[in-house]
Amino acid sequence: MSRAVAGAPFRRLAVDGDRLLAAVCLGVPTLGLMVFFLYPMVIVFLRSITEADGGYGLANYAEVLGTRGFWRATRHSMEMGAATTAISVFLGFIIAHGLHRCAFRGKSLIRAAIVLPLLAPSLVQGLGLIFLLGRNGLVNRFMGTDLDIYGFWGLLIANTLYALPQAVMIIGAALVLSDARTYEAAEVLGASPWRQFRDITLPAARFGILNAAFVTFIITITDFGNAAVIGGDYSVLATEIYSQVIGQMNFNLGAVVGIMLLLPTVVAYYIERQASKRQEGQGGGAAVPFVPAPAPARDLPMGALSFLIAAAIALVIGIVVYASFVKLWPYRFELTFKHYAITLAGGYSSLWTTIYISLIAATGGTALVFLLGLGLRRAPAALARPIQMLAVMPAAVPGMVLGLAYILTFNSTATPLYLLYGTAALIAAVNFYHYHTQAFLTVMTGFRQLPAALEEAAGSLGAGLGRIAAGVIAPYLAPMLVSAFFFLFMRSMVTLSAVVFLTTPKLTVASVTIMRLDDAGLTSQAAAFSTCVMLVVAAALLGMKLLMRRFGRAGRATGTG
Amino acid sequence: MRKWIRSTAAVLMSLGLAGMASAGSITVYTALEEEEIADYIAAANKAMPDLEINVLRLSTGKLGARLLAEAGNPQADVIWGWAVTAMMDPRILEMLEPYQAKGSEVLPAAFRDPEGRWFAPTGYMGAFCVNTDRLRQKNLPMPKSWKDLEDPAFKGEILMPDPNSSGTGYLHVVALLQTLGEEEGWAQLKRIDPNIAQYTSSGSKPCKAARAGEYTVGISLAFTALKSIEAGYPLAMVFPEGGVGYELEASGLMKSSDNKKDAKRFLDWTMSPEAVALYGKFKALVTVPGVKPSEAAVKAGLPADVSTVLAKIDFAESARRQTEIKKKWKELFGR
Repeated sequence: MSRAVAGAPFRRLAVDGDRLLAAVCLGVPTLGLMVFFLYPMVIVFLRSITEADGGYGLANYAEVLGTRGFWRATRHSMEMGAATTAISVFLGFIIAHGLHRCAFRGKSLIRAAIVLPLLAPSLVQGLGLIFLLGRNGLVNRFMGTDLDIYGFWGLLIANTLYALPQAVMIIGAALVLSDARTYEAAEVLGASPWRQFRDITLPAARFGILNAAFVTFIITITDFGNAAVIGGDYSVLATEIYSQVIGQMNFNLGAVVGIMLLLPTVVAYYIERQASKRQEGQGGGAAVPFVPAPAPARDLPMGALSFLIAAAIALVIGIVVYASFVKLWPYRFELTFKHYAITLAGGYSSLWTTIYISLIAATGGTALVFLLGLGLRRAPAALARPIQMLAVMPAAVPGMVLGLAYILTFNSTATPLYLLYGTAALIAAVNFYHYHTQAFLTVMTGFRQLPAALEEAAGSLGAGLGRIAAGVIAPYLAPMLVSAFFFLFMRSMVTLSAVVFLTTPKLTVASVTIMRLDDAGLTSQAAAFSTCVMLVVAAALLGMKLLMRRFGRAGRATGTG
Repeated sequence: MRKWIRSTAAVLMSLGLAGMASAGSITVYTALEEEEIADYIAAANKAMPDLEINVLRLSTGKLGARLLAEAGNPQADVIWGWAVTAMMDPRILEMLEPYQAKGSEVLPAAFRDPEGRWFAPTGYMGAFCVNTDRLRQKNLPMPKSWKDLEDPAFKGEILMPDPNSSGTGYLHVVALLQTLGEEEGWAQLKRIDPNIAQYTSSGSKPCKAARAGEYTVGISLAFTALKSIEAGYPLAMVFPEGGVGYELEASGLMKSSDNKKDAKRFLDWTMSPEAVALYGKFKALVTVPGVKPSEAAVKAGLPADVSTVLAKIDFAESARRQTEIKKKWKELFGR
């Protein structure tokens, strides 16, 4: 596995420097994972085995496993996870394939629509679905139908909406880098387009598809927000945790369910690993970027489907934006700005704090997963495997559990970590580690395709790891690093479940303001505030994109090819 | 050790990194409603200009989870206006220091802890939220009692919070069990169960869903009903005959507070005539003798003397038997 360059004696120093650098690359992100993820989870585990009398034992597990409700919720979670995964990965592949491998106009519109569920506060998605498909929703009212979405189907739609952009991101990472010459060769050899798809595109995307399936499954079984809003009576494991932790103030029993949620994750990851083992070193040499040629038979249906999905997403979010301008949804449709005058103490101030926190989370986070990917490439398998496992675990922990675990960990004066409690830095950390899995897998999907030849060539020309990383690998992985950065930024702006336990009277974030507005019964104001958050995030994304384009051009000019 | 950490934290805070309490300030955890908090705090700031009051507002359940998670090193000086059923949890009582706030002696014995760890000058009530538009559309009779909800015509039209995840859900269940007696109480719940469309995890959701016209009846809170009626939703607030459930909002002093002097001042203020006068403006339920509900509340359907519609609730029993009752409910009605 080690790719250290065998060099002449006089380069020994540089090579040793490389070793040290590789160790740092692996060590720093791993230490971060240990302090901000593993250690809090160990505390959760200890809580799960702490019994009423304070001693350790398995009584909590016996209690939870002995109830019918737990098994029902488990069955529901597995069914929901499987259904959401199947649909999200299928649709996600269509969109990613459409974006990267088909030729049609308006891709930026699809790109914009597809990220909406990521930058929309969770309240928006729930409200949007109810406004559209609820019993008193627009569809029922104007079509005269009697749809009832509460339950399995509503939850499936909501979960798919949330999972789809993440599936597109990860599958996209596998499709964006492809070598046009492979397709040219296939063309010359007379392979039909279907054959090319089956034998070149699909195998190349396999790692991405499997990773996307893994992520989709995990985030579906851990999500509470959708289940509470639209799941009706369809109890899932996340609602079981909520009922224990919030309803009955019994963190220890909730911790049991939290720990149990890690099991399917381990199994899913194991399956995913086994299935993707056979794909290694797909990329060959310096790729000639693939530019899809128009092929109506492929482009028309792919484009139409992609637009349809994008339109559905835009509709769900758009209707909430519209409702925020309506006097009293769904009774009085006169337009008004009054909901934008936020009556809550603090008003819009939390919005600015959140941008600052999200930038820290996204910048630091992207750097850390990049370093981790780099370090893992050079680490022996025996070391790399457990670290990889650890790196994909965070998605399996419901935000509520992670947030409370952070209190237990960082509010203890026993360690100097206490200094972080109540700081913006800790909120940035919880945001990053909560979404570590997705960022890591997106970047890893890129690393997977990194042609070994590229690195070796740079190495044999005498470039050290530092230069290879900055001059060769980072530019090659730029699309994935950008996706990971934007993803972390967007989620940090709107995530609530973990952060709600870490805000203080003086330090609050936008999502908590939205929750407080909704708690106070001011749903329209909550929608208005959410609209502002989405606008700010969209503006920030656009600004950063322009900035990057400028830097990207400068980078290309200085000649990485 | 802790002092050292605190001073370092203060340095961090001055760097804009941390947000922690400094001298002359207290941290208050509360589950009161945002709107009233803003008014109370404005008045308290006027009465005690030298005191900085930092308020953290969370819903009852989330506040409980946070308090217990922070138990090793509590951050709050005062718990202010939090469900007494939760407050009576032994793990919470252990964190409280007995303190007889000035003015709390006027409260009837039922509204304060015999050991002085908490007192409750206010409370909130349950209510049915009935969407009058939908009621008319579906041609349903206005429900006046739990019994009325048994009518098969209401099938799939009622939402109720799950007592296992919502204090509001528990408040309603306890009211039925304590007014009708154990056996008949469960039987009543069983008879309406077929009509319940969903048992929700949030206590205010049934009312919000009813006001949006998603369902006809939301078994929920009077506060949410009042707010919705005020906002213009076609909603009626109904207190079921035979007694509606309610919850007390208790306050207490944290043992761990390192600014007890100011914490006590604040607690005293919550029982001052000025504060009590404000309760009359916001609260449907004030336990301080002689306070009448607000005009808006009366207009929305609140009786001038709320005690006439309240169930007789034994809070000590309700707190003590929580686990058992919630478990039984889950066995009977868990979906």
